[in-house]
Amino acid sequence: MQTGLLNTYNKSVSNRSVIAWVLSGVLLTFYVLMYFTEFFAPIAAKLHLGGKWGLYGTLYTLFIVVFGIVFIRRHGKTRYQKLRTVSIMFFQVVFAFALPHVMEMFDTPGYNFAYFWPLNYSAFYPSNIINQPLPFILYSFLGSLILVPILTFMYGKRWYCSWVCGCGGLAETAGDSFRHLSSKTSKSWRFERFSIYAILLLAVLTTAIVVSGFILSAKSGGEYSAMYPVFSKVSNGVKGFYSFFVGAILSGVIGVGLYPLMGSRVWCRFFCPLAALMGLIQKFGRFRITVKDEMCISCGNCSAYCEMGIDVRQYAQNNQDFKRAACVGCGICAHVCPRGVLKLENKWDFASWGDAAGVEHADV
Amino acid sequence: MRFVIIGNGVAGINAAGKIRSRDSGAKITIISSESDHFFSRTALMYVFCGQLSAEDVEPYERDLYARKNYERIRGRVAKVDSGKRVLALTNGEIITYDRLLVASGSCPLKPNYPGIDLDGVGNFVTWQDLEWLTEKAKTARKAIVVGGGLIGIETLEILHLAGIKTTMMVREDYFWPIAFSKAEGDMITAHVHSHGVEMLLSTETAEVLGENGKVTGVRTTKGDTLEADLVVFAIGVRPQTDFLKDSGVELDERGGIIVDEKLATKAPDVWAAGDCTSVVWFNGVRRPEQLWYTGRDQGRDAGFNMIASESERQNYVRGTFYNSAKFFDIEYTTGGYVNFNFDGECDWFQCDLTNETSQRITYLADGSVVGFNMLGSRWDHRLFVKWVEEKRDIKWVLERLGEACFDEEFSKKFKVVESAPA
Ligand SMILES: Cc1cc2nc3c(=O)[nH]c(=O)nc-3n(C[C@H](O)[C@H](O)[C@H](O)COP(=O)(O)OP(=O)(O)OC[C@H]3O[C@@H](n4cnc5c(N)ncnc54)[C@H](O)[C@@H]3O)c2cc1C
Ligand code: SF4
Repeated sequence: MQTGLLNTYNKSVSNRSVIAWVLSGVLLTFYVLMYFTEFFAPIAAKLHLGGKWGLYGTLYTLFIVVFGIVFIRRHGKTRYQKLRTVSIMFFQVVFAFALPHVMEMFDTPGYNFAYFWPLNYSAFYPSNIINQPLPFILYSFLGSLILVPILTFMYGKRWYCSWVCGCGGLAETAGDSFRHLSSKTSKSWRFERFSIYAILLLAVLTTAIVVSGFILSAKSGGEYSAMYPVFSKVSNGVKGFYSFFVGAILSGVIGVGLYPLMGSRVWCRFFCPLAALMGLIQKFGRFRITVKDEMCISCGNCSAYCEMGIDVRQYAQNNQDFKRAACVGCGICAHVCPRGVLKLENKWDFASWGDAAGVEHADV
Repeated sequence: MRFVIIGNGVAGINAAGKIRSRDSGAKITIISSESDHFFSRTALMYVFCGQLSAEDVEPYERDLYARKNYERIRGRVAKVDSGKRVLALTNGEIITYDRLLVASGSCPLKPNYPGIDLDGVGNFVTWQDLEWLTEKAKTARKAIVVGGGLIGIETLEILHLAGIKTTMMVREDYFWPIAFSKAEGDMITAHVHSHGVEMLLSTETAEVLGENGKVTGVRTTKGDTLEADLVVFAIGVRPQTDFLKDSGVELDERGGIIVDEKLATKAPDVWAAGDCTSVVWFNGVRRPEQLWYTGRDQGRDAGFNMIASESERQNYVRGTFYNSAKFFDIEYTTGGYVNFNFDGECDWFQCDLTNETSQRITYLADGSVVGFNMLGSRWDHRLFVKWVEEKRDIKWVLERLGEACFDEEFSKKFKVVESAPA
């Protein structure tokens, strides 16, 4: 048996019981208050944490650290699980939390080196860029446009999603008790393929519109909103809509609020534009999950505990090595397989380039 | 043409899939008394522990039957008449077929000890057994598992995890001699003990004891009495073929359905696959092979042969043996043939008791390897099978053994410590 998985369905917090619904309600309320009101501002001030976002960042980091330790106690029997969890905790504590604070103490604008476009949707907004020192601007561009694709090609999107990213970090740690709640149906997979690329498109369009607005504005010597009233309106509207709908509702309120009902990766799986982009690269990259032929006993542990809703068993019982755009390489499927059928690997293999090996309904 | 399949298990469902893939119009009927949906019997233990839900252990989405247009009958077959090509269900319903596949699986062996029918005595093989055990586990305080096999040790583990003080009674003088050496068996026994669970070796049941119709314990042949309010017998399974009596389908002395190399019985248009089927093994012995893997393969092959024309039909080829299991936390992979007692066979063996891992390779006098037995770490059985088939030399194999390691990334690198035979 796997330590940590025992009784998953007997725990009221993990089995969509009333308690899980209540918890989800609490989380949703918390996020609505956090994003759209100043409810937490006085508390943050009292605790000397700056504004409400200081409080939020502190809580967020605390959760990742505490539940990271819980995760290691549950699944830390192998080094892969231990290392990547330590890595997640490290990037949250140092890169996302401490470093920006330290930088602000030295009067440099806080900058999170582990946060890339288009997840960081305002990374290329000119109004943000012009406030930054040159090395940071360079890093924004090189990081998002070169570093991310190369690392993803070499190691799969896991290098980010389950080793570095803060959204992934919370999902892997605080979300661990909910990972089995992600839907494995082919219907949910169809929705995922629609939604995630729709948001990616929206993210690219938003950035393009905001940037062109800036260029137009520069050309027109500041008279831009008067000269292009429609465009200026649309541009501001799109920018506002994206930050409200994607930045707040999808990644925050729904993304975390629905943990106890729909699993820990709702945001990462259905909406994250960076995940979408890296997923496309991953399909052509070296990372895959290797399946030991004819060894699967179809028990379902791999599929059940896949937080991204991949029906891993379908590939395992069909003897198919596979690359799935969604896979964040958390390695839990391999970890919980009682027959050691699965292995995460990076491998040069030109024959299978771009082979997504996606079977929606694997033939019996 | 109407295909009727008795059994919604791995053999039955794979046969249905093969038939459907060749003929989208065939009428396919699947009969099962056990469950509405095909589920993974190998995963019963995880459902018991709340690690998986009932739906998690169903290998296909529930719309499978509608999508593939399989007719499903929930009922028990009481009788088959292969001369008339009809079968009858226990509720009296009569079903006719053109071609019949029997994939009815196994039922537990029931020993005839006194007291075997007491309340609180049962097995762990079917979905109904799972429901029974789940109910009993709610109140049981002390349990006994009789039998030192794979189902036995899984049952031992889950009862222990349910907080019940459980003891396992093993007849043999070390655990699982059918596939293990004494050193391997002892490592598992020590591992089980380290969980605080007792495994009694060389211990046989004489009688099941009870009071007011309820089980109270087991008396051993040595005269000792072990207390328990729950006793699970896991001493093996036999083909579930009682309903084939007088059907015209020939059975072996164990009740296994005798088939030819195409998995056809002598009765007209009756095939068999899975646990209930008596097949000829590589060494000429005829008996059922009760494995998930062979059930799957036989199902596929029988299904293919049922729909194929006479000339297209293919032989069921077992292929080199491989298997896997898990004993509490210790994973087990085997490939080739260990413990088959070939003339002049030798073992290369190394073990690491702190990390609870061991590797054993059996080879013949000429140095060619015939089997691998690996405990505690992960191995790619495909390479083992290949090396056995290629009759590779033990020294050649030891130099490359690490290539077959299948542990998770960043795991400690595997090393051959024990020297190769001269
Ligand atoms: C607890 C447990 C753990 C196991 N673990 C492993 C493992 O790790 N690895 C491994 O290789 N094997 C394992 N096995 C063995 C494996 O599960 C079987 O070999 C396999 O399921 C056999 O498949 P089958 O299709 O032949 O029969 P079954 O899966 O037994 O299916 C039989 C079907 O026939 C139906 N049926 C039978 N009689 C009738 C009737 N009269 N009327 C109507 N329907 C009928 C039943 O309802 C059922 O649907 C395990 C078995 C058990 C019990
Ligand atoms: S790959 Fe492993 S975990 Fe997944 S269904 Fe097969 S045996 Fe179970």
